[in-house]
Amino acid sequence: MLKRLNELNFVIGLFFTIVSLILLADTFLNKGRTGNLNLYTGFAFLIFGLIMIWIKTNKNAG
Amino acid sequence: MKLTLADYLVILLYFAFVVAVGFIIKRKIRSSNDFLSSSRSIPLWITSLAFISANLGAQEVLGMVASGAKYGIMTVHFYWVGAIFAMVFLGLFMMPFYYGSRARSVPEYLKLRFDEKTRGLNAISFAVMTVFSSGISLYALAKLLEVILKWDFDISIWIAAGIVMIYTFLGGLTSAVYNEVLQFFLIVLGLSPLVIVALHDAGGWENIKAQLQPEYTHAWKYMGHADNNPMGLHFMSLIFGLGFAMSFGYWCTDFLVVQRAMIAKNMNAAQRTPIVAALPKMLMPLIVVLPGVIALALVTPALQSKGYSIPVNETGGTDYTMTLPSLIAHYYPSGLLGVGITALIASFMSGMAGNVTAFNSVFTYDIYQSYFVKSKSDRHYLVVGKMITVAGILFSIGTAYIARSFNNINDFLQLVFSFVNGPLFATFLLGMFWKRTTGHGAFCGLLAGTLAAAITHGLTIAEGKGGWIAPLYEIRSGLGQAFIVAGVSWTANFIVTIIVSLATKPKSEDELKGLVYSLTKIQKGPKKRWYLDPVVLSILLLVATVLLNIIFF
Repeated sequence: MLKRLNELNFVIGLFFTIVSLILLADTFLNKGRTGNLNLYTGFAFLIFGLIMIWIKTNKNAG
Repeated sequence: MKLTLADYLVILLYFAFVVAVGFIIKRKIRSSNDFLSSSRSIPLWITSLAFISANLGAQEVLGMVASGAKYGIMTVHFYWVGAIFAMVFLGLFMMPFYYGSRARSVPEYLKLRFDEKTRGLNAISFAVMTVFSSGISLYALAKLLEVILKWDFDISIWIAAGIVMIYTFLGGLTSAVYNEVLQFFLIVLGLSPLVIVALHDAGGWENIKAQLQPEYTHAWKYMGHADNNPMGLHFMSLIFGLGFAMSFGYWCTDFLVVQRAMIAKNMNAAQRTPIVAALPKMLMPLIVVLPGVIALALVTPALQSKGYSIPVNETGGTDYTMTLPSLIAHYYPSGLLGVGITALIASFMSGMAGNVTAFNSVFTYDIYQSYFVKSKSDRHYLVVGKMITVAGILFSIGTAYIARSFNNINDFLQLVFSFVNGPLFATFLLGMFWKRTTGHGAFCGLLAGTLAAAITHGLTIAEGKGGWIAPLYEIRSGLGQAFIVAGVSWTANFIVTIIVSLATKPKSEDELKGLVYSLTKIQKGPKKRWYLDPVVLSILLLVATVLLNIIFF
């Protein structure tokens, strides 16, 4: 895990995954007040973040 | 604008990540070459995104949205006329010489091709320009934080500059490049929801076209006469001033961006770096021009019920620079607001770090090592490079205060570029493609070009700027003035370089091998897959660019 911090795509993926969790947590904690924009963006960031993390994992596996 | 815990968490997370990248890269820095030029070890996808991100500073993001609101869709000319063609030219025709000559910087190429004085002139003018650009990025961020978050202007400058200093000091160019890629994704993904929501709120593109005057939604149609379009430009001024002199001067010779291609792993990757970068560049108006045009539509009478307005400045005039922050404040809820603010902060850091790393490379290699201390240990130059990084940040802080007196920062930056870059491309064009060009010719041409730029600016006046010799000719917009200054300075350089070169002795052909097109054997490797071939990629890009210009004609 620590070794993968040397991979830029992993760092970017990790960043967007954490941001997505902040957005999703904010959506659920403040129901109704932030609308659906945080929810949709949070999911989009989560998918992007996981893909960025997965890309290299998949390459390593191969 | 009031930030909540979620917003602050996103901003703090971003600061933590950029600083962490600096610490991670620090372990790999062992030589001055690692620190200042990444030892030519960076993969293509990173060099390409860093290439575009180094140009995606605050002046690009805030400035282009501002120009979108001020000039309408004509702002796309900065991309579809003023970038793609030059980026393709750089990749196909110029990278073989930059990369193949093994020069560590653009000024060093000038030393190899011409002589020491031409390198010195370029290195010094470039250093001044990067410090100005960096200062403008810093000013933009501090002003932004002052207006929307009520943070103190001076404290914002010092804190923001301090964070950039930490990660560029620790990891040098590689750290800056890695953070530029993170910043690229943050800017694009952080602002995409805004475009979608605002476009939907404005009733879609068709409704925007229905609300705005047609000259704001057509890129070319009203450019037959300067009085008919918001930029106040004839299409020939645009094509020659922006599309040729300024665009090629910036994308093909500015070390800030060229440096990102020069750190690629091999020649093919170096050539493809600007070409691959041209694809996201071509689509960038969706993120940085469209919001400005949407804002313009939202303030029309039919859409006033949406409750959005472009802010005004202290004098009561429209403050176009604040268009993007005001859109973010209007549409983003807490949480996403933090993402939007962070994207703006990232744009500032991207621009500033890019300038600082280019500045320290040029200063260390082309000024310090060339003129002051020539033969010291590598360790010595590594330490100097780090000290120059700190000095560059401090200079930037100083210039940020100078930039404070200008309204539209994009106009100002284009003016600075036109003085320095406008004439420069003529030197490289003649140097790379005409073996008869001499060092004396290049030097005199550069001086003549810069002088011509200053005189033209002094004789023309636009939006109250220029005309300091005599305001003989009035131009409607600052951008139009910058294009004309660039065009005149390029022409002056081109003519003077040819005349002086013909009157002076050129270098021998042996000395020019690998530096001039006609004396260099272009290496043809094994047949590549189409997506690895720079020529095929370039053709596809150019066709797409022409199509976009036709669609939005």
